[in-house]
Amino acid sequence: MEKEKEKDDATKLSRRRFLKSAAGASAIGISSGMALPALSLTLKDQKNLAKLVKTDPWKTLDATLSHLLPKSSSPEKVGPSAKDIKALAYLHQVMTVQPTDSDEKEFILKGVGWLNGFAQSEQGKPFVDLSFDEKELMLRGISNSRAGENWLTTLLAYLFEAMLAPPAYGGNPGGIGWQWLDHQAGFPLPDKGQRYFELPQRARVKNEIAFREIHLKENDQNFAKNQSINKPSVKRTSKA
Amino acid sequence: MKNTSYDICIVGSGAGASPVAYTLAKAGAKVLVLEKGPWLTEKEFFKDELAISIHDAYNPKLENEQHVIEEEYQDEDGNSFWQGEKTSDSGWTWWNGTVVGGSSNFMSGYFHRLKPVDFRLKTEFGAIKGANIADWPISYEELEPYYAMVEREVGVSGRVVEHPHQEPRSSDFPYPPIAEVPMSSWIDKAAKDIGYHAIPVPRAVLSQPAMGRRSCEYSGYCSSYGCSSGAKGSGRAALLNHAVATGNLTIKPNSKVHKIASDSEGKITGVHYYDSAGREQSVSAKTYVVACQAVETSRLLLASKGEKFPDGLANNNGQVGKNLLFSGGGTGSGDFLFDELTDKQINELKVVGPFVNRALQDWYKIDDEAFSGASKKGKAKGGTIDFLFHQNPISRARGTQWGSDEQGNDKLLWGEDLKQSMKQEFTSYKTLRFEVFNDWLPTDDCFVSLDDEVTDQWGDPVAKVRIGYHNHDLEVGAYLADKAEKLLVALGAKNIDSSVSGYPATNLMAGGCRFGNDPKTSVLNKNCQAHEVDNLYVTDGSFMPTGGSVPYTFTIYANAFRVADHIKENWLTAAKT
Repeated sequence: MEKEKEKDDATKLSRRRFLKSAAGASAIGISSGMALPALSLTLKDQKNLAKLVKTDPWKTLDATLSHLLPKSSSPEKVGPSAKDIKALAYLHQVMTVQPTDSDEKEFILKGVGWLNGFAQSEQGKPFVDLSFDEKELMLRGISNSRAGENWLTTLLAYLFEAMLAPPAYGGNPGGIGWQWLDHQAGFPLPDKGQRYFELPQRARVKNEIAFREIHLKENDQNFAKNQSINKPSVKRTSKA
Repeated sequence: MKNTSYDICIVGSGAGASPVAYTLAKAGAKVLVLEKGPWLTEKEFFKDELAISIHDAYNPKLENEQHVIEEEYQDEDGNSFWQGEKTSDSGWTWWNGTVVGGSSNFMSGYFHRLKPVDFRLKTEFGAIKGANIADWPISYEELEPYYAMVEREVGVSGRVVEHPHQEPRSSDFPYPPIAEVPMSSWIDKAAKDIGYHAIPVPRAVLSQPAMGRRSCEYSGYCSSYGCSSGAKGSGRAALLNHAVATGNLTIKPNSKVHKIASDSEGKITGVHYYDSAGREQSVSAKTYVVACQAVETSRLLLASKGEKFPDGLANNNGQVGKNLLFSGGGTGSGDFLFDELTDKQINELKVVGPFVNRALQDWYKIDDEAFSGASKKGKAKGGTIDFLFHQNPISRARGTQWGSDEQGNDKLLWGEDLKQSMKQEFTSYKTLRFEVFNDWLPTDDCFVSLDDEVTDQWGDPVAKVRIGYHNHDLEVGAYLADKAEKLLVALGAKNIDSSVSGYPATNLMAGGCRFGNDPKTSVLNKNCQAHEVDNLYVTDGSFMPTGGSVPYTFTIYANAFRVADHIKENWLTAAKT
């Protein structure tokens, strides 16, 4: 695979720009005038997901992930659900244990606020209290805006990781995702303590900490207002 | 400031550095290796897609250390200009393995030799307008014993077959070929049917335990992953471990060299580096060897200004950083659709673990009047085509979330639609890929300089790389990709496609300090010793005036063993007097 780097890198490139634009999409005020709770991650968010899931942001994230990858309703429609692949546990790790970009974490949290703001204004209820069909309607609605589409794409990307990354990262218990997709994993796989951010560090001047507190200001905007944000394209300007 | 003295000080620890450390430490010289990354072992390499492909965990974060890449654009009037972009902005990393053993830890290990024609491209095919092609100052015959040495010492598994472009060999492969997937025989048959010669790919992967290393365990993840069995012939596993065992080699990991200092007479006084805590250290030696991979080697020399070398060490003729090379060509693929195959065929196709290990070199020299390249009568240097499967499942899943609505517009999928899309992607077909390797011609638009503004985390200017290419590379690449596509057709693959571009694969780099007999047009002499500094050698891929049409690592190893012999002779002579 000597030649793959170029392609992988182009993918990374577009994704990074994606996030940048999405993060930059936050300057527009909410229209309905209602106050949303400020969402932030603190040290207590690292612990006890079972308790955390009863409150936001985890409650809304859990409901969203379960809607994106639902439990299959009939025998011919098979495949693991978000719960089966421990998608929320994985995302919780991404937000609290992995050294994830603060821009990215902030964007995921903002999306929770946006989604609930949209659900409130359209349905008069927070997202988690909606019926399946109402949730579908809300998610389809936000997917029509750039920021909303980016937010959903981000969650879907983490669903893929939860399903197909080594189980040490918190998802894919017992390789359930690999089995479903008939994928043969490599070996050895990392255990806890051997994950990408736990490898011996090289010399660096600045120490980096994995967990950063994120505070979001109140009244972050809704998706509907962000339609003007242009999806960035990978730079491939014509060669002279 | 500590100041210890060594016989040999080597900057870098990869395929260019490790043969020198190995040869000199075994001969009894006191050798120091300074490597800016950590010293990992087999126990710290995993088949972890997040670590390798998604978070690039064995390389610096781009905000800490990066490059500036200059690309060519056109303004509204059609005039071209070059514009740089920081890789921390683009996300396009140029690091290939910042650990002891360097990028050789993560190579695919396709160990094709160069062929005699590669040493005399200019003589053979003549000059090409816009390219700075130069013959090598050595011949294939001079390098051949060292290819054989690498096959033994690093460990290359393979099988010699007769084919039209087989290069002369003094010996057979020391290890039998590594195991192959059943599908490899499909390639053999299809190739024969259309008059091609599919050849087994020699691999720097042990097919049998040897030299204190385990053999390949066929996990199915090899290319771009670190090897946990020790079978892959990285400079670390194959050479440095043995060199350390002599007691003569000191490896200092986490040591970032930023300057080679020289005095008013142009003599090197020492190497300056930052240690793991960021403290400035220096060390001196009788002989200095630089092997940091092409871009960083040129950067270090350019940054090493002195009274005698105002434009950088060994750069009084302005040649350092020039004639940088990548690999021409591109990639392609075809799909085997399971619903067109028998159960037996599907089962054969699904085998994971062993290697595809097939290549085509039928057009290593193109002799085809239909080819409209720069040379007359359809004669030109061609290249190599390698076949492979990809594994990474997360990468494969990315994209399955896109479907289309009734109007054919992109539609984001989730729920049952997403599940079906994923299942379809993973279980209804398998993609066979190929990679085309052809020469990246040296030009005035492909070089390394120091950036005026961007610095690394220690405050030193980063390398700026201009990545212009010659159109001839694209013509050759397209010619070869077309040949490869014909084989995919013969195999019955569908959705056949290929892409040849002037964008470099950043793990395939060479040149920048090319060797030659004329100091005006080269940095190094035929022994890879700087024309301007007697006790300075460059032993990574920087020496190559032209790069040939195969991946670089094998030739870097072979040449570094050759230069190591020369350094050893000098060291022994000096030790006697």
